[in-house]
Amino acid sequence: MISNTIIFYIASVMIIFFSLCTLFARNIIYSLLCSIMVFLLGAIFFYILGSEYNAIVQAAVYGLAVPVIIGMTIMFTTGNKEKESNTNISYLTIISAGIFVLAFVYIIMMALVINPNTFNVVDSLHINSYENISAFAKGIFVRYVWGFELLSLLLTIVIAGLTMFKNEKRRIESEK
Amino acid sequence: MFVIGLLGTMIAKNIIKVLISIEFMLLGVNINFVTFSTYCDGFNFDGYIMTLFYTGIGAVELVIGLYIFYLMFQKKKSENIERYSEL
Repeated sequence: MISNTIIFYIASVMIIFFSLCTLFARNIIYSLLCSIMVFLLGAIFFYILGSEYNAIVQAAVYGLAVPVIIGMTIMFTTGNKEKESNTNISYLTIISAGIFVLAFVYIIMMALVINPNTFNVVDSLHINSYENISAFAKGIFVRYVWGFELLSLLLTIVIAGLTMFKNEKRRIESEK
Repeated sequence: MFVIGLLGTMIAKNIIKVLISIEFMLLGVNINFVTFSTYCDGFNFDGYIMTLFYTGIGAVELVIGLYIFYLMFQKKKSENIERYSEL
């Protein structure tokens, strides 16, 4: 059994350190890797506070999906600079290794959620995984159902808008 | 986290760093939501639900920002935010 206080202080120091590293790193790839650590430490905070579901969502969205998109953007926008530089390690190798490490961390966190007795997870409120998920279901599908539907609508509009934007750009380029 | 994100938004020159800093601010807000929901809200879990919504909205906002940056990068050919003062 690990004390929550120790985890909290270690995670706090690490999250501040890595967030400052993100801001002041010269290489944008190092900045991205540090930001991944910050997001995963944020997921650990959520887990310590008793919100396993939010921790998993945070680790999946910000720890895995978003860094991949940011990494692809970096690759698309720094392709010419990479050819000019003399570094032997390509960005693609670093990002691939990072994705494997993150997948490993994600599996560990999933194992912790399945067996939540590893940490002292807010015992005073008697929260367990079933009550947490049940409360989420009631919140999303009963009390905040309109907010949930609006969020779904927003995501649909974003996908449709980006698709239309791309098609419009292609049409303009073909007219030229 | 919020202050570090705010600092990064103000001082960073790289657009991707600015977007990541905005996500840091959002993470700070989400941690506050979860903390207050755990210790002050009882069993309603309103903060958890809001955190879930803001996580989704934040990811969408980041993706849109990156896409706009990618489109503008094709014209400006620079990551420096000062070159994007005119659209």
